[in-house]
Amino acid sequence: MTEKREEKMELSHEPVPGYRRIFFIAITIGALYLGLILYKTLL
Amino acid sequence: MIDPVPPALIFIIGALIVPFFKGKLKSAYLLFLPVLGFVNLISIPEGNNWIVGFLDYNLVLGRVDRLSLIFGYIFHLISFIAILYSLHVKDDLQHVAGLVYAGSALGVVFAGDFLSFFVFWEMLTVASIFLIWARRTKASLDAGYRYLLVHAAGGLCLLAGIVIHVNQTGSIEFGYMGLNGLASYLIFFGFGLNCAWPVLHSWLTDAYPEATITGTIFLSAFTTKCAVYALARVFPGTEALIWIGAIMTGFPIFYAVIENDLRRVLAYSLVNQVGFMVCGIGIGTHLAINGAVAHAFNDILFKALLFMSMGAVMYRTGKINGTDLGGLYRTMPLTCIFCMVGAASISAFPLFSGFVSKSMVMDAAAGGHMRGIWFLLLFASAGVFHHAGIKIPFFAFFSHDSGMRPKEAPLHMLIAMGIAAFLCIFIGSFPGPLYSLLPYPVNYVPYTAPHVLGQTQLLFFSALAFTLLLLSGIYPGEMRCVNLDADWFYRKGARLFYRVADRSFNWVNSVCDRVFVKGLAGSLGRLSRDLTARIALLILVSFWILRGVSGKKLEMKKTNFYNDILEGTLPVGIGAGLAAVFIILIFVLT
Repeated sequence: MTEKREEKMELSHEPVPGYRRIFFIAITIGALYLGLILYKTLL
Repeated sequence: MIDPVPPALIFIIGALIVPFFKGKLKSAYLLFLPVLGFVNLISIPEGNNWIVGFLDYNLVLGRVDRLSLIFGYIFHLISFIAILYSLHVKDDLQHVAGLVYAGSALGVVFAGDFLSFFVFWEMLTVASIFLIWARRTKASLDAGYRYLLVHAAGGLCLLAGIVIHVNQTGSIEFGYMGLNGLASYLIFFGFGLNCAWPVLHSWLTDAYPEATITGTIFLSAFTTKCAVYALARVFPGTEALIWIGAIMTGFPIFYAVIENDLRRVLAYSLVNQVGFMVCGIGIGTHLAINGAVAHAFNDILFKALLFMSMGAVMYRTGKINGTDLGGLYRTMPLTCIFCMVGAASISAFPLFSGFVSKSMVMDAAAGGHMRGIWFLLLFASAGVFHHAGIKIPFFAFFSHDSGMRPKEAPLHMLIAMGIAAFLCIFIGSFPGPLYSLLPYPVNYVPYTAPHVLGQTQLLFFSALAFTLLLLSGIYPGEMRCVNLDADWFYRKGARLFYRVADRSFNWVNSVCDRVFVKGLAGSLGRLSRDLTARIALLILVSFWILRGVSGKKLEMKKTNFYNDILEGTLPVGIGAGLAAVFIILIFVLT
């Protein structure tokens, strides 16, 4: 027997509260860290 | 002992006999061919073998050296794995096309001259098209035609380059050339198209996911790797390749992240990995060439493993989109584990195969003080983990529960995936045997504390980025849509060409139509139509005026006579009378 399933048009990823802030904090720290490394490398 | 034969022949001639076997005998025969081919290969002495005279040239069907040998080994190995994986297939077309395709790839890597190289290169294209068409869907048929058009264009460029090169040098030897003139640029472009260079790559991401489940395993192994081999043979150390390769490693990541079809994600990942090889060939040092070749060897295995795991999912569920899949680890645990081994290998996790080869190219870039290139490759390494290392297993086997509970993959598929997974771990843990096969002596140690720590850091931060992107809702959702990619340029370019052609060529065409067809030709046509009537009127009008006919009556007589002649309603008597007048006039005047 073929089971009929609804095919999703989009599989979106719902945000979990609080994680967007964590994401931006992590990005900021990462960018600063990379910037520091680049600065020390190029000098 | 039987003398060895050209490696390509075993596969190509062997393929023609496949339809005569049935059942288990066919399976045994199919598996026997790559084993026989491998035994044949190891018995071929190094140097030029099977030199055949053709016109004024010598064709070399077996140039055996360390570069061709390592590609020969891996092509036999992957053929065995792919055939084992496809034993359930009843369609002879797929088996024959797969074997001819593998044989053509062997022909390419062992060709010692441009003519036999070109013949096998084109056979590679033809055989691979049938692996795409064999799926027998409209999408695969269309993709196959587009693939054929693109490769025909690339093949013509290659042929033109070869003809000019042979004309200029008088030599057909297939060896180092470098970029130094029109012939070399045409050949370079021909190789580059099969290598899926940026903007020229859309044939790969378009066609490979439309091929049959088993066909994709073959496709992922041969066409691009033959092009990598050709570049390593003819254009090592060409600086343009460094940037082309570096761009190849970077841009597919963005497309792969937004792609819903998981086999298409792997196709983008294939372009990305070939980028590392192209970059290595461009750098051209012994370490870089070794890295490029080692990575080609490893990529064939882990990419086939990933395609096999997605093929098994597709075989059991009939689905391949991220929107449809998820939660399959419950009922397909072994396929899931094999997929994760492939994912770890492509991501270059320590103890997995990608780690011992990708880093050779990156070290070569760093050793050559190419900071920009090194950063691009580093970014690409993180991106690979993002889309191929995490996305593929996550959306297929975990993520949301699709509700599907398919059976585990068939035994022969599991064994094929198991062999590939074992080799990925073995090579990653003990790279010595692989290094001993490389073209140049290897003095490279992958397992140093900085390298292991650095790579682990990179991968874990990449995993952190994926997790945070997903949990914060920033990660793009999987959508059912068609991503045109560089095909956009072809489609828009073709439309632009049509408009330019419409406005320029069609304008010239309409002017010519007005002047020559409707103008000049029309006048001539009219003249030839009523010439007799005009001549006859000339005589008769004089005759009528002499008889005193004038004014409206004369005009009426002229019109009636003219119409009668044109419509052919002239009484026979008048016609005969006119004929007599003509004859008399001719007699008098001559």
